[in-house]
Amino acid sequence: MGNRENEKHSILMVSDFFYPNVGGVENHIYCLSQCLLNLGHKVVVVTHAYGKRSGVRYMTGGLKVYYVPWRPFFNQNTFPTLHGTLPIIRTILTRERITVVHGHQTFSTLCHEALMHARIMGYKVVFTDHSLNGFSDAGSIHMNKVLQFTLADVSQAICVSHTSKENTVLRSGLAPEKVFVIPNAVDTAKFKPMSEEERRSSKPSRSEIVIVVISRLVYRKGADLLVEVIPEVCRLHPNVHFIIGGDGPKRVRLEEMREKHSLQDRVDLLGAVQHTEVRSVLIKGHIFLNSSLTEAFCIAILEAASCGLLTVSTRVGGVPEVVPDDMIVLAEPDPSDMVRAIQKAITMLPKIDPQVMHNRMRELYSWHDVAKRTEIVYDRALKCSDQNLLERLSRHLSCGAWAGKIFCLVMIFSFLLWHILELWQPADDIEEAPDFILTPNHDELEGCCRKPNNAENQKNSSDTNIYDNSGNNNIS
Amino acid sequence: MDVKTAASNSSPPRAKWRKVAYGGMQPGYDDNHTDETFLEGMVMNASVVKRNMLKVMLDAVSISEYLCIVALVVLVWTCTLSSSLDENSLLLIDISLLVSGFLILLFTQKKLSLSLLLHYALNVSFFITGLYVLAPIYQTLTRSISSDSIWAVTVSLLILHLFLHDYSESTVKAPGALKNPALTSCISVNASVVASVFIASRLPSRLHVFAIMLFSLQVFLFAPLVTYCIKKYSFCLHICFSISLMVLTLSFVYTLHRLLFVLLLSLLVFVNLVCPYWLIRIQEYKFEINGPWDEAKLCFDITD
Repeated sequence: MGNRENEKHSILMVSDFFYPNVGGVENHIYCLSQCLLNLGHKVVVVTHAYGKRSGVRYMTGGLKVYYVPWRPFFNQNTFPTLHGTLPIIRTILTRERITVVHGHQTFSTLCHEALMHARIMGYKVVFTDHSLNGFSDAGSIHMNKVLQFTLADVSQAICVSHTSKENTVLRSGLAPEKVFVIPNAVDTAKFKPMSEEERRSSKPSRSEIVIVVISRLVYRKGADLLVEVIPEVCRLHPNVHFIIGGDGPKRVRLEEMREKHSLQDRVDLLGAVQHTEVRSVLIKGHIFLNSSLTEAFCIAILEAASCGLLTVSTRVGGVPEVVPDDMIVLAEPDPSDMVRAIQKAITMLPKIDPQVMHNRMRELYSWHDVAKRTEIVYDRALKCSDQNLLERLSRHLSCGAWAGKIFCLVMIFSFLLWHILELWQPADDIEEAPDFILTPNHDELEGCCRKPNNAENQKNSSDTNIYDNSGNNNIS
Repeated sequence: MDVKTAASNSSPPRAKWRKVAYGGMQPGYDDNHTDETFLEGMVMNASVVKRNMLKVMLDAVSISEYLCIVALVVLVWTCTLSSSLDENSLLLIDISLLVSGFLILLFTQKKLSLSLLLHYALNVSFFITGLYVLAPIYQTLTRSISSDSIWAVTVSLLILHLFLHDYSESTVKAPGALKNPALTSCISVNASVVASVFIASRLPSRLHVFAIMLFSLQVFLFAPLVTYCIKKYSFCLHICFSISLMVLTLSFVYTLHRLLFVLLLSLLVFVNLVCPYWLIRIQEYKFEINGPWDEAKLCFDITD
């Protein structure tokens, strides 16, 4: 992999969403960072403080994480202050000798602010959009305007699926050539089908078909569809069992449904499932059911397919792009069509070999591939020409009659603030942090995507807080 | 890794680009490749209805009809307060309104049924008794508040009522209706009731209070139901009824106050002519985008 102009980047990942929070974005940042570290780049993550977890910490593979002491106020988001984060972001950028800033997720205020500051200071920025957004309600309109502001000045953008790219281009007015499609991946080493030993130890139940659902039980994940679909499927197929993992406000409705149709012995409600336990739930099943009403990518399908489950899913967002057609049965988000799809999946089931499916998934997805493709985006971003403030202001001005002027004011204020900071604390005075060099473990690339939980255990066992205020504890 | 050179040469036998996320980078195409199929699934202005001026104007009639009804109530209030309308004639108005409303409801219903009649009669008798018993309380409830405040609050409550009123349907449903009224229409009804209570405190006797409360509540609660029934029964009748109501109101207001007449007339013109024209004009700015990224809508009702 060394035939390109192989310069190493110093990448700053910024998002409000990171471990100890668990979800698609968090997982993506962690795995991508690990693989980039393995490729020899330097990666630093910036997120806000989670409870007592504040300050600088190291995770597996020398991944340095800054937990900025900035409290979340809503949905794990920091309070938008526009300029409040400038000093600390500036210090981190200088200390870590960052070359590329990579922000994640539209809903993260910290990401938007950091990208703005980084652009003001002349850094190249990349943005990854992980979600879909409509155009109709007031919330979406506001979010789209903020996104337009950030993306007006971004060097390159990444989306997780082609549908997401279309959505992002429409929302932000970005040129389609600047938007890359790099999907999520799945750690196939972790999501393996049931091994022979496990099969022997578990009770043989060839006749019954287990359908697994793992999702938060909320409206957007289609919990109401489940309430309609499950009784009907149970009525048509007496040998079908359901296992539902996840918690949420709609759990009550599912419990009501279970009582009403007396399906207590056929529908298991597990409640919240830890991410480390997901595999153990998945391998109990034969079919994975995803009833989401909106989905940019859906990692859950990848995890299920990697465990050898046949997927039945609603045809929404980026779901049709995620796995080949013979590994998924798609249905319209309406109960009767979902029931039809489940029936079709049940007839397909005898032909499915979990191990074959797992092997195919190994071919189709790997975080290493994702990291390599992201590396190309960084190279492109660094090749973008530098622009002065005036050129950038004109781009912001074209964002809208009123919004454009407000955006410009925000940018100018940020610029002034940056220069005041330069006077008060010149960049040369900021001490550079020594790099934490681990010899990259090339043999075990597949294992580079260990989950944050493992990393946490490992870290706890050694030392929890490695503050690097002095250069003395330079571990090499 | 000669992806870039392959892409720039664009050699003819390369595989067709597919809109899939799996399988890594597609050979011959960069990750930022934008196919001709890009935004193919986008639908613009799919659910936009072409509106026709006449239709919008006719629909706006129900708004002006209700405006007139509220204007008439205010007219009755002012007449009662200035003692040009005594309690006996007020009661007479109440009874005639009650009977005519009853008749309209019965005749516009598909089938006449004795049980429905009994149902209505029972409810109305409860309602009237309750009101009569509570009349002394209404009379003294807000007596200590100064008249200026009463007028100011009443006017603002009425404006709130008009803003939040559900003009397409009636908040008070015919028996057997399934859908619950929206929060805003409930607030609207409550605002009107509170306004009536405020006004009642300025009246000299209990009978006055009873008569005026009965009148206002009859109108605010049941007039929307009656007009809705008329509209459902025959649109033509609805238009005739509305226009005669408008003429009646305008003539009453004319005898009372010139400026108010001009105000009401301009309001009616605004609602019936200017607003529909405005709506049609701004329709061309409508820009609605739909596509595969939209959140799916459930095709069934969620009963929580």
